[in-house]
Amino acid sequence: MSQSTSDTNIDVASVVEDVNLRRIGHYTIVILFLGFFLLPLITGIMTALKTSTAVANTLPFMPPLGDGFTLANLEYAFNRLSYAFVNSLLMAIPATIINVLLASMAAFGLTMVRWRGQMGILVLFLIGIFVPYQAVLVPLARFWNNIFPIADMLEPVFSVVPLIQGYHSALVPLIITHVAYGIPICMLLFRSYYQSLPNSLVEAAKIDGASITKIYRRIILPISKPMFGVVFIYQFTQIYNEFLFSFTLVTSANSSEAPITLIIPTIGTSTSGIDFGIRMAAAFLAALPTIILYVAFAEQFAKGLETESA
Amino acid sequence: MGRIQFDHLTKQFGETVAVEDLTFDIEDSEFLVLVGPSGCGKSTTLRMLAGLETPTSGDLYIADEHMNYRVPQNRDIAMVFQDYALYPHMTIRENIRFGLEEEPGYTEAERDERVEDVAETLGIDDLLDRKPGELSGGQQQRVALGRAIVRDPEVFLMDEPLANLDAKLRTQMRTELQRLQEELDVTTVYVTHNQTEAMTMGDRIAVLNDGRLQQVGEPLELYHAPENQFVAGFIGEPMMNFLHGDRSEEGFVGEYIEYPFDERLERAVGDAADLVLGIRPEAIDVRHAGESASQSLGPHEFRMTVTVTETHGDQNVVTLTHAEDEASHDTIRAVTDGMHIVNAGESVIVTVEPDAVHVFDGETGEALCNRRLETARELTI
Repeated sequence: MSQSTSDTNIDVASVVEDVNLRRIGHYTIVILFLGFFLLPLITGIMTALKTSTAVANTLPFMPPLGDGFTLANLEYAFNRLSYAFVNSLLMAIPATIINVLLASMAAFGLTMVRWRGQMGILVLFLIGIFVPYQAVLVPLARFWNNIFPIADMLEPVFSVVPLIQGYHSALVPLIITHVAYGIPICMLLFRSYYQSLPNSLVEAAKIDGASITKIYRRIILPISKPMFGVVFIYQFTQIYNEFLFSFTLVTSANSSEAPITLIIPTIGTSTSGIDFGIRMAAAFLAALPTIILYVAFAEQFAKGLETESA
Repeated sequence: MGRIQFDHLTKQFGETVAVEDLTFDIEDSEFLVLVGPSGCGKSTTLRMLAGLETPTSGDLYIADEHMNYRVPQNRDIAMVFQDYALYPHMTIRENIRFGLEEEPGYTEAERDERVEDVAETLGIDDLLDRKPGELSGGQQQRVALGRAIVRDPEVFLMDEPLANLDAKLRTQMRTELQRLQEELDVTTVYVTHNQTEAMTMGDRIAVLNDGRLQQVGEPLELYHAPENQFVAGFIGEPMMNFLHGDRSEEGFVGEYIEYPFDERLERAVGDAADLVLGIRPEAIDVRHAGESASQSLGPHEFRMTVTVTETHGDQNVVTLTHAEDEASHDTIRAVTDGMHIVNAGESVIVTVEPDAVHVFDGETGEALCNRRLETARELTI
């Protein structure tokens, strides 16, 4: 906000008056919004580091002092969540990668190649975006449990493979579901990006003798890197934080294959009530992967969004 | 044999007809320029040649093979785009090499060698390891050319390749493109809206307007013997002067000018009532009026006033209006020698010899009579 004295304003007194009021107004709004967004976060971090007594006796957003400070909450949360971390990542990373790859291929086929009936297929994708999670929960559970129990089928295979356990096969239906659900929206994101690319690139490649697959592999895929970053971050966050499908397909927080989203609601409960310190610690630990991802890809993210709006 | 044949080729986009009933041939190794105003269908024709559009009706043959439905990958053609369409993430070397990968009969080493050779021919061998984003417009254009040349195709297609270059570079590249085409001896179809490029570069020119072929022939043929008013007005800079009027007993009568016909013109024009007189600027002789304002004028001489003079150095382009035309509606332009100076506001005598006059039918635009050329230099038309 640069309030330089403008030559066109003759009435000096009113200019000075305006500057003051406006500035105060702007700053007030900014501070209010800052408080609105940051206060819960600050409170959370502070609570995670306090003992239960400190939580009860001090103001929520005040930092823990002296006796009130403890790392025990974080320790407990970490131990309890370590397996769940593995589960969540084992589920989210393959799902996101497959999701992004398939969506970009679909977007390429629908946007940069012309063929009969592609409008109809595009409409189907668009409809897919709008199907609500809740509507398909029961059929989904029935499908994966009774009609096509892939989890049971793959269990023996998984127990033999090193590093992962047999029970992780229960994550496969979850991965497939997330891929199916995520492709429409990711396809749309890629489509808008591909629409901004010049058609002459694909035309030149065609004249150079490249098949459609080669054009995708050698030309479009390398160029889409910024967009891959954007869609990856977006989709990973969606899948990692997702509760409903996990709950429907994995059902219990006590199962060994439970993702982190199932564990968090149950952590810290005891007969004496809810231990907020542990809860907050668990929440922050759970958010760590997405924060790290965002920081790592922030540049790509910004570039990708920039290209989209260009 | 990179011969191209268009046989009643038509392309429709929904209701709009982009190209209508195009029929002519392009010889092997010929440099043919497709020229016309924006929206005339020249780019669409080029894209049909490339395989990027499918004709609605009619036939297209390249090297005597029917090409209507063949995909661009299988046509053995190369194209230079207006925006160059270089692959931004690849180095120049990879850009040029890309098309060669699908060509059979090369080993990997031979491919690399060929890329080096082509780069050297175009003077870009020191740029091979850079990316397109780091190059200037002229350099990018050479890379686009290199990409086309390296594949040794039957036909080169060029879609206004010089449009994005500055004026000096454009003239430079014009000569270089011509030299290259002579050297490589490949049939080239070149699309442009710039008539100077068409005149200077083409072995033959095809003029299109509104999707229809107006005339195809050698540059001088189109210049001296245009088949209709559109071609006459399109080819030649400054543009041919057109005077609208009617047939009279003696010849032509316009708003301010009466132009008697000689025998040749009379015979050619016949009964046509609505006429347009076409006179090339360089065919108009301009001389100072002199002291006596009441000097008697010959049948083909007119008194005019100079309104604007443009000095080009080698020539002057003079805009003239008839002495009685106060509002300066009907202006004609004449070209005089650079040393022959006339000033604005001056009164001049303008002479137009009947031999230099073109007459067009006012309704159809068809040419009724073109200028007579000296027998020694007359083109066999």
